Amino acid sequence: MFYVKWAFVITFWVLVVAFFHYTLPQHDVARIADTYEKRIDFGENSIFWTNQGTGDAEGTVNRDVFFIQAFRTDDRPMIYRNEDTGWGWPPYFKFDTANLQAEANNLRSTPNDPQWAVITHYGWRNEFLSIYPNAISVRAVDGPDVRIIPWLNIVILTIVAAVSWAIWVRWRRFRAARIDPMLEDIGEGFDAAGDSFSDTRGRFRRWRDSWKRK
Amino acid sequence: MLALARLLIIGFVVLTVIYLSLSLYSRSVRRGKLEREWDEEIHTGDRDAFIEEGMRAYDGSLRKKLILGVYVLPLVTVTIIIYLTNFH
Repeated sequence: MFYVKWAFVITFWVLVVAFFHYTLPQHDVARIADTYEKRIDFGENSIFWTNQGTGDAEGTVNRDVFFIQAFRTDDRPMIYRNEDTGWGWPPYFKFDTANLQAEANNLRSTPNDPQWAVITHYGWRNEFLSIYPNAISVRAVDGPDVRIIPWLNIVILTIVAAVSWAIWVRWRRFRAARIDPMLEDIGEGFDAAGDSFSDTRGRFRRWRDSWKRK
Repeated sequence: MLALARLLIIGFVVLTVIYLSLSLYSRSVRRGKLEREWDEEIHTGDRDAFIEEGMRAYDGSLRKKLILGVYVLPLVTVTIIIYLTNFH
């Protein structure tokens, strides 16, 4: 029982952390190498792609998707997709995909003469699933060492922590005030039933034994 | 536009549920305060009439109107997000 409880708790927290890590924005300092557009047929990984741009046809099985190729400061490549989130989830309300593609294209550079940019994105890059993080915005910076403080993430996580703590505290108070006394009463009821049951059994056994010793 | 309509309808329903819950909670807190005030401080006159008058004053008060902020706040937040994401 101990392991089952901890399995649930750990699974719950893993899911919560994964959800926030996927949905909250992150910032990468990168050098944009190229931008392109590719036809994607949505298969098993379709939940990691957003909907079509607002105004376009819905529910198509494939679509042209913008991509941005970049190299981060450790010289490893990172490919971002560039899609509208529209009115759907996550609530970034991103409509300016084509504009962003133009801005990103404008910041392309070569390794010899790099133009560094900060790319704000959400989502995961997983080669095995062929999923890409979604770029939200791009802005040019002077050099690869820029100090970025994720203010929005700090605010959101603080609010979530405060709300969860408030709910948890109220749940504990409610439990102590209402549920625990009731459970004690039920426990006492079980004890009393158990006593009377063993009394009954005692009597039956004595009567049975009275037949044995003949 | 259909996605926007869907978002607005679902948002309206959810916010209305929150608004009603908050409104009822606020009324019950106000009623509790009025009852306690009468029980501890006043003790004279008609208890029910005092409470009814207090509740009518509450109905016209600013505090009750502020609960409509439940509708306003998400709209403002979404507008700000749209501005920051799309128009820098």
